[in-house]
Amino acid sequence: MPGKLTSVWLLLAGLTSGGGPATVTAALICANGQAGCRVLSLAKLFDRVIQHSARMHSISDDLHSEFEQYFVPSRNHIGRVSRNCHTANLLTPDSKENAERIAREELTEVILKLLVAWRDPLWHFHQIAANFSSDKALEMSDMVRELRKGVEKVAHKMQTLGMISNSVSSPSSREDLPPSERGEWRLMKDHELLYCFRRDSDKIQNYLKILKCRIVPEHGC
Amino acid sequence: MKRDACVATIIMLLFSSAHCNNRSPPGRPVLLGCRSPEKETFTCWWEPGIDGGLPTTHRLYYQRERLEGRYECPDYHSAGRNACFFDRNYTSIWVDYYLTVVASNALGNATSDILKIDVMDIVKPDAPESIRLAAEDREESPSLYVSWEHPQNVDTNSGWVTLEYQLRARQQQRGGETTTNWKEYKAGTQTQFTLYGVHPGAVFVVQVRCRLDHGSWSSWSHASYVKIPNSIWKEKPFWVSVLALSGFLFLAALCIVVMKRKSVIQCLLPPVPSPKIQGVDFQLLKSGRPEDLISALIIHQDFPPVVAWNDHMDNYLIVLDHDAGVQRSNFSSDFQYKDSKAEQNLKFLKTPPGVNQEDGGSKVSAHKSYMDFGTHVHLETDYSGVKDVTSDVFLLNSMDLQSLELLPEDYSKVVDSKMLLFQKQSIQSDHHKKPPPRHSHGVADLINGGYVHAITTPPLGKPSLTY
Repeated sequence: MPGKLTSVWLLLAGLTSGGGPATVTAALICANGQAGCRVLSLAKLFDRVIQHSARMHSISDDLHSEFEQYFVPSRNHIGRVSRNCHTANLLTPDSKENAERIAREELTEVILKLLVAWRDPLWHFHQIAANFSSDKALEMSDMVRELRKGVEKVAHKMQTLGMISNSVSSPSSREDLPPSERGEWRLMKDHELLYCFRRDSDKIQNYLKILKCRIVPEHGC
Repeated sequence: MKRDACVATIIMLLFSSAHCNNRSPPGRPVLLGCRSPEKETFTCWWEPGIDGGLPTTHRLYYQRERLEGRYECPDYHSAGRNACFFDRNYTSIWVDYYLTVVASNALGNATSDILKIDVMDIVKPDAPESIRLAAEDREESPSLYVSWEHPQNVDTNSGWVTLEYQLRARQQQRGGETTTNWKEYKAGTQTQFTLYGVHPGAVFVVQVRCRLDHGSWSSWSHASYVKIPNSIWKEKPFWVSVLALSGFLFLAALCIVVMKRKSVIQCLLPPVPSPKIQGVDFQLLKSGRPEDLISALIIHQDFPPVVAWNDHMDNYLIVLDHDAGVQRSNFSSDFQYKDSKAEQNLKFLKTPPGVNQEDGGSKVSAHKSYMDFGTHVHLETDYSGVKDVTSDVFLLNSMDLQSLELLPEDYSKVVDSKMLLFQKQSIQSDHHKKPPPRHSHGVADLINGGYVHAITTPPLGKPSLTY
């Protein structure tokens, strides 16, 4: 019993002083401040953002399939060769080899660019699709913002650990979407938006996993 | 007749020629679908349309997002007939492919519908491999340890794909076809799993499947069978019953011993035989008249030598306890028994055989005895001492004289205070004819007061017999 009490007091002290259980556990684990300990926290950060991105992709997948039930794309679009994804201009690796070949900094930048590019469109989408799965749209919009912060933290940590150069910077440019319009065309656009975001969220998840296995391979790939 | 036959042959020829000449452009082929087993390559299959009667070739063409031009299938052979294989160099993910198959023969072409695919959506891995089953014999319940390997063509080290596994198992009934329902388990990303609650002696069927990221599940692996061995614990009921039976028997034996403890104790620890005087009935003497008592006493007052006594089994001797306060001194002829409870003090001596009871020297012997008493015992005038003594006095079998050495000095602890019944012997009537004089030395008093022939008890228990 006394042992339990002391541990409870320690936890309370840690909570009040540390400012959160996560930091308490991190402090408890990394009390010595060793290098391996910091790598462990980086791996945990990676796991967190990967989990985040998986959830984000799952929501986008659900939204897309829901949209497909309500709106069947007309046959006109089947023959189209390229999509109107606004992120089509971004050069993203489209195979495993390409993702492994490009530099770590470049990969990190691509991830950040994607996340930045989708912040406003998703916000617009949430505003527009007020009656249709607005909770999912809002969650998606929030998630993309949170995920961007998380990846920025990961990039910063990698830079402090010397794993990547300091050339990675958070992109400030934003892609402007054309103003939303009413009507079926708007829905189509939203449908395309969802289709494009579904694809891009899968890209983000895959790139993060590849990056983790390149940076901290010993912590599970 | 001839004309009819001619017409018939002409018609037949026409028909046959029409059949033979039925050539047409091929029917439209159908693209069945595509599949990527590891998210790095993919294969597409089609089904040919109606054959046009002419040799037909099928070609697959595709267009790709962000790629200008129309391309043909790079590999028609690796994946088998009516299939096209795209290797790593030709596979891109997160881009749309638009595929068509064109069937062509000498008469024309036929084009299938366009199939749009993204490799991201057609991922379906092969089934897991090398499923190993090991039955673990644990204490209470055995368990089944299942382990497997990822499909060979999937790269699990780069993080490009994440494999998720699913397991299903069911118990196979012996002989019959009826089996229990499948039970499915999620194994996550591990390549091992432990099934609990498997019954010993049962045969289990286990299958595993996997999927990449959020793609389609693979087909179930080949069924693996395992027989859970009958562990020692299966025979547990037998041993439990054996133990229970032996325990019950032990308890029953214990109860019997407890209930019959007296007889057991008697058997194991024979009681010390109580002394008795042969031929004398204590009860008779208790209740009888003093004359009878005296006569009975006198008759048996022969005190043969010790030598003769040793031969007889039934001789009993009276022993006085020193602690009772009896002092050795000259025997006083004054016997006065004052206590009414002297009856308890009556001790009787059985006449040893070979001694003539008719001996008139009973008197003499009595006197002798008195004399003997005198040398050994000094009875107090008040018999309170005697009374005390009698509670401590006990009769000894003459055979036990040798064992007197073993007796402790304090006979009070050894004596059984109960009075013992004596063997009733017929008192000859002629004995009554010679009743001892009442006055003689207060024998009558003695009778009531306890005629005692004392054997001195040496301190160490060594007897000295004097008469």
